Amino acid sequence: MTFAERMLRIDRRIIFLLIGLSTLLPLLYPVGLAIKISPEVRGVHGYIESLPEGSVFLLSLDFDPASKPELYPQAVALLRHAFEKNLRVIGMTLWLPGTGMADQVITQVARERGKVNGKDYVFLGWSPGGSSVIINMGQDLYKAFPSDYYNQPTKELAALNGVRSLRDVNYVVSLAAGTTGIETWYVFGKDKYKFELGGGCTGVIAPGLYPLLRSGQINGLIGGLRGAAEYEVLIGQKGRAVAGMDAQSATHFAIIALVILCNVFYLFIRTSRGQTGQRS
Amino acid sequence: MLNVECRTRNVGAIVPHSTFLQRFLVILACLCMLPLAAGTASAQSPLNPPENLRVFDAPSDAGGGLTLIWGRADYDGPDTRYQILLAEEADAAAKKVLAEFPANTRYVRNAKWPWWSRPAPPEFHQYDIKSGKGVDLKDGTPYVVTVAVLRGAERVEAGAIRVVPQPNWVNWNQMNNLLLALLFGAVVLGSIRTAKRREIFLRRIPGLDAVDEAIGRATELGKPILYLTGAGDMSEPSTIAAAVILGRVAKRVAAYETDLMVPHRDPIVMAVCQEITKQSYLEAGKPDVFKEDSNFFITTDQFSYTAAVDGIMLRRKPAANFFMGSYFAESLLLTETGASTGAIQIAGTDSDHQLPFFVTTCDYTLIGEELYAASAYLSREPIQVGTLRGQDMGKAFILVVLVLGAVLATAGVLFNTDLPAIALDLFKDLK
Amino acid sequence: MIFLRRQLPLLITFVTGLLFATQYYVPHPASERMLTEVTKWLQIIGGFALVLGVTSLFHLHAVKIRRKEPGWGYSFVLYAVMLGTIAVGLWVNGKETVNGTATAFGWIYSNVMVPLQGTMFAILAFFIASAAYRSFRARSREAAVLLLAAVVVMMGRVPLGEYLVPLSGDITQWILNVLNASVRRAIYIGVSLGAVALSLKIIFGIERAYLGGGKE
Repeated sequence: MTFAERMLRIDRRIIFLLIGLSTLLPLLYPVGLAIKISPEVRGVHGYIESLPEGSVFLLSLDFDPASKPELYPQAVALLRHAFEKNLRVIGMTLWLPGTGMADQVITQVARERGKVNGKDYVFLGWSPGGSSVIINMGQDLYKAFPSDYYNQPTKELAALNGVRSLRDVNYVVSLAAGTTGIETWYVFGKDKYKFELGGGCTGVIAPGLYPLLRSGQINGLIGGLRGAAEYEVLIGQKGRAVAGMDAQSATHFAIIALVILCNVFYLFIRTSRGQTGQRS
Repeated sequence: MLNVECRTRNVGAIVPHSTFLQRFLVILACLCMLPLAAGTASAQSPLNPPENLRVFDAPSDAGGGLTLIWGRADYDGPDTRYQILLAEEADAAAKKVLAEFPANTRYVRNAKWPWWSRPAPPEFHQYDIKSGKGVDLKDGTPYVVTVAVLRGAERVEAGAIRVVPQPNWVNWNQMNNLLLALLFGAVVLGSIRTAKRREIFLRRIPGLDAVDEAIGRATELGKPILYLTGAGDMSEPSTIAAAVILGRVAKRVAAYETDLMVPHRDPIVMAVCQEITKQSYLEAGKPDVFKEDSNFFITTDQFSYTAAVDGIMLRRKPAANFFMGSYFAESLLLTETGASTGAIQIAGTDSDHQLPFFVTTCDYTLIGEELYAASAYLSREPIQVGTLRGQDMGKAFILVVLVLGAVLATAGVLFNTDLPAIALDLFKDLK
Repeated sequence: MIFLRRQLPLLITFVTGLLFATQYYVPHPASERMLTEVTKWLQIIGGFALVLGVTSLFHLHAVKIRRKEPGWGYSFVLYAVMLGTIAVGLWVNGKETVNGTATAFGWIYSNVMVPLQGTMFAILAFFIASAAYRSFRARSREAAVLLLAAVVVMMGRVPLGEYLVPLSGDITQWILNVLNASVRRAIYIGVSLGAVALSLKIIFGIERAYLGGGKE
């Protein structure tokens, strides 16, 4: 077996180690490279920016703890922006395993901005049914969620004054790790009840949502940790996502280097085999 | 007032229920008159109440909506403004201003009407009142609505019109969708009839040709076969397709008396697959080899399931792994682990976002509709093959429409005409 | 018996299939109520089906323990953790926090479920690297184009890439918005036609394999 062949069959734990180091070292020694803002993230930010004070902003945190590293920073940045603009925030989730985390992020950011539960924001929690929850909310929000996550009757909450259904919501953003998520909010929500819709998602499913963006079905898309970092830059509050971008840069370059290396070895083997073939 | 009421009712009666031909002729006439209608606005034109004002229940909606239509006027321009006023009939004097906008905005052509349900010529003004965001329209309650026109201190108002919002039973805007669905259904059923009469060519799908090879290899090695039906529930076509293919695979597995493991994420899918597998063993004449627990449930949670299946792959080292159905982020975790055990891997998914991972790590991948074609390919039953032919004809039709649509839309822009809309609207998604 | 096993399910499929296909074209609130109602039925059936699933899981691990299969001790761990979590969840009424303080159930959620799920998802990055190293080779001209596009997109999605090659960000946007979106649309069209054809076959009883078995 030649050196190139041996290198192509390298123990994958060495690759894992390389990726681990590429993630860890930049987190320990950050560089802080500039982050360019993409039009799709600007779409979500610009729309929230244009909303007048007191507008209703619904944030659906449709993800579970597995997607926390990417979607939690997005939620924090969006909530900070919404609270800064004094929007009335409605939080909810369509993913049962994400309920505790959704409550945690809303409570934490609201506390940080001095917002009062029930008055400035509500957290509706989770209700079973996925798409049918959206349909129910489009018909009557109080029937879909008679009480919020803390068992307070939703009809008595000041933050929901004048909000009877999804038609009264100015902007909905779904932060999704899969389905039920952005597409469900479009098909069963925006399409029927005519509110503006934006999205945030994990990096792995972001390319799949570009057709929705191009056709105007969503007005913006925050994709993965990179999207969260862009949003943090836009609101001028750098957080975990920006900190993670150096690690992501290093990891991407490590993978690029690996791909180039494996191709060099592959070409080397192919060329040497070709030469052997010619000789024989 | 009485006169106005009658007019409103007439419009309400004619517009949503007029025949297809009537609408077509009206719209065609309107399109032909377009150049004549394009008069010049004059800032000095005297203000008159908006003409031809019609208010009617918003057609094709779920209720709580009204539509206002009125003609364009000589005074339309950025300096002149329209006001929309609304009140309940019981309290008609307390009309509230709902909206105010420049008089050179909000035209029928800007609204999403297809030509067959468009209630007025494109150059007419249109405003939709919808329940929500400060307006509360109750179905069955009579309202009075009017339009006022303002320029500086001048203000004139049209006569108020009585109207009652109602929910509708038919969404006329979606009739093109229904028509195309029926057409496609007819093509599929027709193709099935044709396939029963004569043989239809099927192109090779290497991934499916490899099914036998994979099962054979597992038998030779005395190792089990792992079959996954994906993350979806029984309402997803990809899961149904995965379950159908499982039936075909199980039949061959039964013939070779190889071990089959089908771990599930959804209990209903598990129950269905149990039945399918049992039937396949029966059909293969090997009911005694069938194991009740070949189909088993793990958990509905994505990554817990993934960890469990990865564990099965590492412990049992199946010789062949099948990944059919819909997948999310777990796809690479499953296939990469499978690849590390040296198993032959065949994937089939309509989850386009996971295709790169499957293509990279599996030996064969069925892309998109190939998953649905698999059942036909494996069984070669005329009914199944006929359906494939129907699908292909549908795809050819869409290809032609795409090319013609692009040409027509470009022509429409180049020659500044709305005529191509007659053809293009037929393929628009209007809800 | 054949009526209950075959004809009745086919009849139900036919009637409900046509009914809900029609529902799509009916905007009246009554039609949406019907859809919501049926979705609730599905949830209830799903709830009962979970009993089936849990029974299957218990049975599988009971067999493992009885046969003393390799790693049978882990089956005991599964029983203990599953029953323990259910008990704790019931004890605190499913609440993760009460007056801002984490309950025992919340503790399990934050300290077991969140890190375990996060770990599983994080493994993806390592697997992507090893899969790319093993399989991403320029075997043909088409594969070389794919390889180049992948490298450009990976560069364009991170600040370091944009810093080193400023154009990579714009090229990435173009690849995602134009090439990627158009190819995905083509796949969507094929998938949608396949799904509609399969639905038609099921509604009209042409495809019956999902009921368990072939032609009858």
